[in-house]
Amino acid sequence: MSILEIDGLSFSYEDGTPAIEGISFKVESGEKVAIIGPNGAGKSTLFSLIAGFRTPFTGKVIVNGDALDDGSEDKVRRHLGMLFQDPDDQIFMPTVEEDVAFGPQNLALDDIQGRVMNALRSTGTEALAKRVPHRLSHGMKKRVAIAGVLAMEPAILLLDEPTSGLDPRARSDLIGLLNGMKRTMLMATHDLEAVADLADRVIVINRSIMFDGTLADLAHRKDMLEQAGIELPSLSKLFSRLKDMGYDFRHIPVSLDNATSETARVIDEMGRKRQGR
Amino acid sequence: MIVGHVRGHHTRTDELDEHARASWMGRLDARAKIIGVVVFVTVAAMLTVTELIFAALALSVIFAAFSQVPARHLLKAYAGALPFILIASVSVFLFAGIDRGIGMWARTSACVIALLVLASATESLQLFAGLRRLGVPKIISTLLMLTYKYIVLMADELVRMKTARKARGFSGGRSLFDLRGLKIIGYTAGMVFVRASDRAEKGYEGLKMRGFNFDLKTWRQTRLAAADLAFIAWFAVVSGALITFQLGAFA
Amino acid sequence: MHIPDGLMDPMVSAIGWIEFMVVIAVALLISGKKFKEKDLPRIAVLSAGIFVAQMLNFPIGGGTTGHLVGAALFAIMAGPVIAMVGMTVILVIQALMFGDGGITAFGLNATNMAIIAPLTGWGVYTLVKPFLAGLKTETKHGKMNLGTAIAIGVGAWASVFVSASACAAEMAVSYAISGGAYGIAATVSIPAMLGYHVIIAIGEAMITVAVAAYVLSVSPNAFRSISEKNVAVPGLKGIMSSKIAHATVAVLIVFALALPLYFMYSSEGADGLEKTMEDAGVDEGDAVLTSPFEYGETYFAALFAGILGFVATALVGLGLMNIFKIGRAAE
Repeated sequence: MSILEIDGLSFSYEDGTPAIEGISFKVESGEKVAIIGPNGAGKSTLFSLIAGFRTPFTGKVIVNGDALDDGSEDKVRRHLGMLFQDPDDQIFMPTVEEDVAFGPQNLALDDIQGRVMNALRSTGTEALAKRVPHRLSHGMKKRVAIAGVLAMEPAILLLDEPTSGLDPRARSDLIGLLNGMKRTMLMATHDLEAVADLADRVIVINRSIMFDGTLADLAHRKDMLEQAGIELPSLSKLFSRLKDMGYDFRHIPVSLDNATSETARVIDEMGRKRQGR
Repeated sequence: MIVGHVRGHHTRTDELDEHARASWMGRLDARAKIIGVVVFVTVAAMLTVTELIFAALALSVIFAAFSQVPARHLLKAYAGALPFILIASVSVFLFAGIDRGIGMWARTSACVIALLVLASATESLQLFAGLRRLGVPKIISTLLMLTYKYIVLMADELVRMKTARKARGFSGGRSLFDLRGLKIIGYTAGMVFVRASDRAEKGYEGLKMRGFNFDLKTWRQTRLAAADLAFIAWFAVVSGALITFQLGAFA
Repeated sequence: MHIPDGLMDPMVSAIGWIEFMVVIAVALLISGKKFKEKDLPRIAVLSAGIFVAQMLNFPIGGGTTGHLVGAALFAIMAGPVIAMVGMTVILVIQALMFGDGGITAFGLNATNMAIIAPLTGWGVYTLVKPFLAGLKTETKHGKMNLGTAIAIGVGAWASVFVSASACAAEMAVSYAISGGAYGIAATVSIPAMLGYHVIIAIGEAMITVAVAAYVLSVSPNAFRSISEKNVAVPGLKGIMSSKIAHATVAVLIVFALALPLYFMYSSEGADGLEKTMEDAGVDEGDAVLTSPFEYGETYFAALFAGILGFVATALVGLGLMNIFKIGRAAE
């Protein structure tokens, strides 16, 4: 059984404009899926829908076996952990450790102390335990927010633009953190370089699903990229141009590792060809 | 940093909860604090005998001194309430004699000081939870909690907008006839509203995603400890004494 | 207008509490039925907004500034019931977190600013608007037509003025029945409060209109009262549920709240003054000033009550006229 099942999901705003139409996909436990698309494509709406904040909708949403309907919202939410784009939207308590404990307390979970310690440790925020969240930097706040979510041990993490507003250092720290987790993740983002590092699978949404596959495959679909208004990372653009120029790259790399090995391979081959003459 | 003008005095909203954490009073059960101070203030407001009024004032000041709330903060807050107190005291003095005038000043001051100590020494969330457990309806306690959170956010935004306004040359209208000035003030207020409306939705979602069911009653259950009962007892005793003498004065 | 503890006679404070509890209980009952949990954030945002708006200084001229009450704005944007609940929340926060306004005096403060102010603001706005609907010039207010703007302004002005009057009355009654131990003499409280607030009310009116215009042009859906059309439904049910009828009731409630005070004042009056002071065994202090008017406090009180009665009657009359218009239009 898939950990998340979306089938024929459609939703329109109050004034009638459709937000998303006919979305269907399944996510298996442990998968890390990136949801990308232009602004207004419905990424955030999709997350709000899955979390039971938008009604009425047509179609099915089944989270960890529980179907979402009128009345089961709270039950479904227990399987989910949402990281909002603005951490201020989810930090409430006067100190960091109290805030991380907030979720487990509300849900009356066991071993609250232990959960809080683990969450703080895994996000590297133990030193901040007694600090006032309001005063922390944006990057630190995001970590505190994640800690608060992890303490509840949800089955699926929903991350809304996790890397936005972070300086390069904080961003790479966060990516490292997320990479190290085995939890199922859905991440709505514009940051394709982060996607390259984190996600196994990419779903392109522009009101409905335009693509569902790997980033490597997506990199070759110029038409799709243009239609969906997606910009490849600079790295990939570079290789795309080189390929157009005739250099023998087998595919367009999207990650740094990939790019390094591809480049090395092509250079070696070109070197051999020259020697062979 | 949030600086708000509250009826003439500056209050740093983020400072409020800090004072509460610093003092021993912050650790008491909110219900005990509320009950104790309310009993005292209610009795103090009923005193008309001058000696008793001054006794109440003395008790208030002692309470303030003991509470470990920074004197500067209390003085600033008291200064904010002073205009109203003074107007009342002076007018009573002018119409009914100096005794009455001073009595009015002392009595209102005694009550205001006690209330300010309660306000400064109690964390907001604890206060609202305490009220809920004392019987205030759920919708009110929930709104108190949400509203307070949004006040902090919006005051922040207002300060930012005022700065932005100033940077474009506007620094408050000149008089009621300055129509453009008033319009801009109104628009600023309107903007704060609209922007806050979106944040409200997100804030609510944030709380629901953390399993919060909005009933502060079930949150952080604490029982009344010895310190709390002592607190209530002290105020009950002194209030009882004051009111007995007050009513005795009519005998 | 936030009254501290120790200023008002305990009797008056008690009446304030009773009046407040009765009305707010009804308001809570109604709101419990109408609103769900997911509406709460928006109500809280409005309350927070009005709270912050109360922190704004607007210039009166000559370097002095005034503050908004915001009750009319609240009621016009979200309806009277939400406004009453929301203003109550604001006052609780101000009293318990900032020490602004007393605990024993809370009943009076709430009656003045959380009940009388929003009801008056909304009531006057609703009753006056239909008569100005014809004025549809393009003004600087953009999407809002001039008639609506004027109605909002008048409603906001009335809300401040009437609630200030109530406050002045409470002070006067406190003074009278306590023999000068509490309150402020009518000869001072009434002219001072009314004089000051007549000007403040103008600022409130103008800013309320500006804010309303802004919010309406940016997001019309935030306004439930303004954008709703008054659909004529025939018969008694139509009359009962029409906003005009509700507005008329609102005005009547405000008037009813003033009655206990008036009775207290007129019955205690001058005789009560002597008696209370005898009981207290207190000597009348040497007054520094005596009232220049022969009939002193009673004159003001009578004039004051008369004006209030006249205005209330006028508004109720307006309301009745509208109700009959609706009834006839539906035929």
